[in-house]
Parts: sequence; structure tokens; C-alpha cells
Amino acid sequence: MRKRAVVAVLCLVALVGAVALSLAVGAKQIDLGTIWNSLAAYDPEDPLQRIVRESRWSRTLIGILAGSALGVAGALMQSLTRNPFADPGLLGINAGASLAVVLGLTTGLATGFATQVPLAFVGAGLAAVLVYAIGARGAAAGAPVRLALAGVALTALISSVTYAVLMVDDATLDQYRLWVAGSLTGRQSEDVTALVPLVVIAIAAALVASRQLEAVALGEDAARALGVRIGAIRTVIIVLVTLLAAAATAAAGPIVFVGLAVPHLARALVGASLPWLVVVSALGGAALVLVCDVIGRVIAPPGEIGVGITTAFIGGLIFALMSRRMKVVEL
Amino acid sequence: MRILRIGPLGITTHRRTFAVGLALLAALAALFVFALMQGQSGISVLDSLKAVVGIPVGAPADFIVGQVRAPRALTAVLVGAMLGVSGAVLQSLTRNPLASPDFIGISMGAGTGAVLTIWLVSATSLWITAAGAVVGALTTAALILALSWRRGIVPLRLILAGIGMGFVVQAITQYALTRMDVHDAGNALGWLVGSVTGRTWTHVTVAVTVLAVLLPVILWHARSLRTLEMGDDAARALGIPVGVARSVLAVCSVLLAAGAVAVTGPIGFIALVAPALALRATRSAGVTLLPSALMGALLLLAADQLSQLMPATLQFPVGVFTAAVGAPYLLWLVWRASRGGPS
Repeated sequence: MRKRAVVAVLCLVALVGAVALSLAVGAKQIDLGTIWNSLAAYDPEDPLQRIVRESRWSRTLIGILAGSALGVAGALMQSLTRNPFADPGLLGINAGASLAVVLGLTTGLATGFATQVPLAFVGAGLAAVLVYAIGARGAAAGAPVRLALAGVALTALISSVTYAVLMVDDATLDQYRLWVAGSLTGRQSEDVTALVPLVVIAIAAALVASRQLEAVALGEDAARALGVRIGAIRTVIIVLVTLLAAAATAAAGPIVFVGLAVPHLARALVGASLPWLVVVSALGGAALVLVCDVIGRVIAPPGEIGVGITTAFIGGLIFALMSRRMKVVEL
Repeated sequence: MRILRIGPLGITTHRRTFAVGLALLAALAALFVFALMQGQSGISVLDSLKAVVGIPVGAPADFIVGQVRAPRALTAVLVGAMLGVSGAVLQSLTRNPLASPDFIGISMGAGTGAVLTIWLVSATSLWITAAGAVVGALTTAALILALSWRRGIVPLRLILAGIGMGFVVQAITQYALTRMDVHDAGNALGWLVGSVTGRTWTHVTVAVTVLAVLLPVILWHARSLRTLEMGDDAARALGIPVGVARSVLAVCSVLLAAGAVAVTGPIGFIALVAPALALRATRSAGVTLLPSALMGALLLLAADQLSQLMPATLQFPVGVFTAAVGAPYLLWLVWRASRGGPS
């Protein structure tokens, strides 16, 4: 218990550090004193303080939002499927959200952010149900690989449809470019602020449901004996994963591997206790996305690379190394 | 059972495999002629065939068939065959129908290699890009092997490591795309789409060269490949040098995939689907290389024809069509496996 609390506090410290980095580092380096002043004694005349308030804050907020949502979604998905490779990006859930938004844009259904988010939710939900139905049944030998492959196939299918729509419709392509980059820029901060309550409520609900999900992870018979309603809890978890993944995609575009790597590292730190896993994954996910974003800002001057590219590189390596540690029996 | 002998090459084949092979060949020939004839301009079959082999027949046919349709159709046939054989060898070596160079990162590695050559040396020559693709594919394959090697290779671990590496090399491609100058980036993007549109006789030459070098080597080892499917111990007992045969075949498979990517850009799912369909059609117990090649060629040529038949507003690159057919097949494979069937 105490060790877990220490880990959680350390993650919080890491997140605060990442926020400071994200506010300070960029095309223009800004010292911590100015950042502090921009919060405590805001002076609109100071150009540096204005950079912090007007551009870096919203970017940082989006990073925290997307990172914590993806971290928690990954932790829930991995527990639900009892599968270490479950990740909303890898399983095609983010791709489903993107396709729904593209279809919305091209049919004129999605005119603003307020209509895009529900569409992203519908697309993510359909993809989640599909990939779960195809690849996640049974815990028999081979299940992890099947789920990963089902995700890859579903992503390929969805992307080819998305691509086909974009080829035909230039106007949609123009708007969609902002989504696919997997970038923390290009969103209005008011739009993103509207997503904050959604993500906070979903994470809180995940904390409440995590005890019951833990019981399901013990096996269906044990869970029934403990009085858990298995069908209901599974539905709730899928809805929460969908909400979180869709919110993250709406805020930052499709980002892969954060939902895979963060819960995995968190499990190494706090063990299998799901409530702690949710807390640490939320903090760690936010910190990871911010750090990856900062790396993307400085690695390719004078330009930047999107956070999705950095996370794919780092996460892909972690994924490949994870497969090495898997026991043959699990495969 | 019958034995085909062409010089020193002997291929043991079942009667059914032979018949299926002939049928595929006939279908391919018919589709090829259709590909030459398709579209407006009213050129006769005879004139078209003459134009393909370079006999001058007059203004429209010489250009339309000889310089546009023929190289495009031939590229589709050759690259389809390369992908079919590459997939067949890989699936046989890993004893897994899910293994395919386009999922385990090898095609993506080839793409990254090619994009890096476009970025670093502003390569416009197809031969240089092809060399880059080969280096990229081999490097990626070596990394996948190194990452999944742990007292031997377990096929499923290899596939997972490959999926991970696929994301890593794609991130490198994306990074390169943001760094290179606009002209090169447009060049690279057009090629990354994966298409047989606008291919020239140079593309055909590259494809023929790659196939002419690698296919004989693979066919030479075809018997080893079948024996390896029975397990390493059985293969060793039958006098197959297991390590050598497997390495040679794996390298050839990777090189074929790299060659295909170099010529057309990444086209997904042919390498996955063609060998499976060939197996089903021939009802063969083991790997069927030539039927896989013919099936791959037929599939890619058919997909390209389909993409040309679409109305002008829906002219997608051929990769969109192969994904639309191939991805559901892969999902079905996974679904069947999760019902407890053979995976």
C-alpha cells in the first residue's frame, strides 16, 4: 500500500515536471520564473507570458487529457481482455473514431467540434465491439496474437476506407489533415476544455468499476461467486474504453501505443491492483505524451514532428521487446 | 503424381496442382489480353499483342498499348507473382497462415529504406530506390530476428516483434517525410501510396531482374521447404541442411518483398491471400510456389483492372482494393482461429 502510494506520488511529480518542460521548451525557450508569473501575475503586455498563456497551455492541457485517457483506456482494455497487447490504437479503435469523423465531414454531418466528438464516439464504439467480438474470445492459447492481428487487420480495413473517402473529397482531406497528424496543436482550446469533464468522469467511473473488473479477471466463476454481474461490468468497461479513446482521438488525433506501454510499465511498478493501475496509468500516460511532444518539438528544428510519430517509434520498440519476454505457453 | 523436368530443375507435382496451374495461367493470359484491350481507342487484339513485343503497328497502338497499358499490366503481373511467392515462402517457413511480409514490418522496412534514399540522395533513379528498399527490408528483417530470437525462433513471437517493428519503421518514414524538401516529399508520398499506375518499361526491367535472380533459387530449394514443413528433426533426418536452407529461403522471401515494394510501393494483402487461395485451389498438403505466384499475379492484375473500371471520381490506387478484400479475409482467419480451429 505504502509503496504504491509512493509510486503514485512519484508519477505526479513526474507529471508536474513534464508540464513544466512542456510550458518551457519550444521554438522560444521560456524560463520558469516567467511561466510562474504568467499564472500568478499575468501581464498581457509581456510577449513571453502571452506565448505561455495562449499557445503552450492549451497544448499542454491536450497532452494531459489525451495521455491520461489513453493510459486508463489501455489499462481497462488489458484487464478486460486479459491480454497484454490490448491498446486502443493498436486495436483499431482510434482508427474507427477517425473514420466516423471523416464520414461526418464528407456528408456534412460534422460541422464543428461539438458534432465531431459524438461521431468519434460512435466510430470508436463500433470498432471496439467488432475487434472484441473477433479477436478477444476465450483465453485459450494464441489469444494475445489473435487480438493484435485482428486489430492490425481492422485498422488496415478502416484506413483503406478512410483513405478512399479522402481521395474523393479534397475539402474533407484538408480538415482531416489536422486529425491524422497525431498532434497536440491545431485544436481550439475552448473545444478541448469541453472534453475535460468527460474524461474526468470516465476516469472516476473507471476507478469505481475497477474493483468489480478485478473480480472478473479472477475468472467468471469466481466473479459470479463474489456477486459481480459479469455482463454488465463488461459493457460498462467497453463503454468507458470507447469514451476515453474517442475523447483522446478527438483531442489529439490517433495516437498508438500510449495505452499499451503505460499500463504495462505501471503494472511493473504497482502490481496487478487495478485501482492503483488506473491512477498510475492516468498520471504516467499524461507525462509520457507530454515528454514525447517535447521531444517532437526539439528533434527536428526548425519544424516539429507530431506526438503520434514519437509515440509510435518508442511504443513500437517497447512492443517488440515485450513480445520477446512472452513465454511460449502464452502464445 | 508427376514429375516435370526442365533441365536440371525437377518439380514433383500432383495432377491437380498441375491442372490448377494451367487454369491459372490461362486465366492470367486472358486477363492480360483484356488489360491491353481495355479502355477506348479500338485497337485490335493482334495489333495489341504486336505492340507489346515491340512490332510497330501505327501511331495510337504503339503508344497506348506499347508504352502505357503493357508496362502497367506486366508490372502488376510480375509484382503480384513476387508477392505471392514471398508470402508462400514466409508462411511455409513460419508454418503460420498469418505471416505475410506486409504485416510483420518487412514491406514497411522496404518503404522506409526507399524513402530514406529519396531524402538523403534525392534519388530519382528506380535502381537506387530499389537498392534502398532492399537494404531497408533486410535491416528490418535482421532487427525483427534479433528482437524475437530467444533460444530459437517461435513464429508467433516473430509476428509480434514484426508488428512492433512495423510501427517503428513507419515512424521513421513519417519523420523523413517531415524533414525532406517539398519536391522530394511529394515524390516519396506518391510512391508510398502503392500503385501500378504510370509504370514504365524500367519498372518491368527491375521486376524481371529481381524475379529472374530469386525465383530459381527459391524453386531450387522448394523440396527443402516442403520437408521443413514436417519439422526440423524430420528434415535433418532426410539430409536437408536445415539452417542453410531456411536462411537462404528467408532472405529470398525478404528480397522478393523488397523488390515488389521498390517497383510499386507497398501493396498490402496479396502476399497474405495469394498463397492461401493457391493452397485451397490445389488442395495441396504443403507449400505451392508456382500456383502462389500465378495466383498473386492474377489477383493484382484483377485488382488493377477493377480500379480502372471504376468511374473517374472513384479512381483509387490498387492498394485500396486489395485491402478491401484482404482485410476481411484476415479478420475471418482470426475469427476462425478464435473459435478453436487451427491458427
